[in-house]
Amino acid sequence: MIPRNLAVTVAVLCSLTLGMSLYLWQIRTREATNSRALVPQHVAAPASGTTEKVKVLLAHDETDDLRPESISIPSGSNRQQRAEEILRQLLNVYQQKDAPHPLTAAAEIRNVYLVDPNTAVIDVNSAFVDGQTSGILAEELTLISIVQSLAANVPNVTRVKLLVDGKERETLAGHVDLSGVYDVGEISQLANQLSPQ
Amino acid sequence: MIDPAHGGAESGAVLGPDNLEKDVTLALARRLRQDLISRGLQVMLVREGDTLLTSDQRASSANAARPALYVCLHATSQGGGMRIYTAMLPSAGTSRGLFASWQTAQAASLPASRSLQQQITTAIQKTRFPVRSLVAPLRPLNNLTMPAVAVEIAPATGQASQLATADYQQMVSAVLANAIAGTRGKLEASQ
Repeated sequence: MIPRNLAVTVAVLCSLTLGMSLYLWQIRTREATNSRALVPQHVAAPASGTTEKVKVLLAHDETDDLRPESISIPSGSNRQQRAEEILRQLLNVYQQKDAPHPLTAAAEIRNVYLVDPNTAVIDVNSAFVDGQTSGILAEELTLISIVQSLAANVPNVTRVKLLVDGKERETLAGHVDLSGVYDVGEISQLANQLSPQ
Repeated sequence: MIDPAHGGAESGAVLGPDNLEKDVTLALARRLRQDLISRGLQVMLVREGDTLLTSDQRASSANAARPALYVCLHATSQGGGMRIYTAMLPSAGTSRGLFASWQTAQAASLPASRSLQQQITTAIQKTRFPVRSLVAPLRPLNNLTMPAVAVEIAPATGQASQLATADYQQMVSAVLANAIAGTRGKLEASQ
């Protein structure tokens, strides 16, 4: 025969466990809903807002070179927003049908952080690198296009680091080294060797 | 020393359904070894089979062997012909005394690498095979203490399947072997 006080204690403990489990489940559900709402969404340039033209360096696979071209970005944004807009619009060009240097539609620029204050850290998603054509020159064209387009339009960016999903990665797609921080001046020299001949 | 890039689980570029970069580079490396030996040069391969090696392992094994020239072979479906690369060294990393920074170990040999790159490119141009001389941020070139170049082979026809054919590999190998053998005087002097 189980003593009455022991049975009551077990019953109270069981109901407490059940109650706490329900409470924990409720908190986790609420947290998940909140974090989904906090994921930054890409905002398209307002159709009626003012825009400005900026010069970017576009990669061309057909001729294995880089050529300056103009794209439009929303004007009046701060330095960081400007950096993100330039790279997202550049990526948009590469995601069009018949793009000169195709990148997958799932590729995204997650964030651009301006730190230290001359260093830009570009965080791309994993689809960006998974969809990148593997090859020394193909990867080099992507790297130079991104770094040069950013540095040419955001003042005082002299060093650039690339991250994938917020983490360091050894190479872009098996070849070009992503482990270090790139000096814009050195990337500029690479761009010169790949300008149209 | 010839380094067929990639290997094992790291297959490199997918050049076709049954055509992986790691297999093309290994097949080409074996042909190039034969062609260089027949021209009187001693040759070693960094990998003889389908082995996974890190960039650091490749650099360590090359630095320990102290070859006169390190040639890393890559293959791609993009573009046409051959591209000869030398290292773009990162700005960080300063050598102190006898100890060379791992990230910029190539610094002392870079002038020799560039000179050999130019000589090899010029020799290939004479055969009318399309070739370009470029610089790239590519490991393990940064970490090597001897003259080093990377060679990226692309198909001449625009069809990636050509990279796996014996005829094309033989032609590329012969062109490259002639160009490398032509630098023999410089290689012997640097040794």
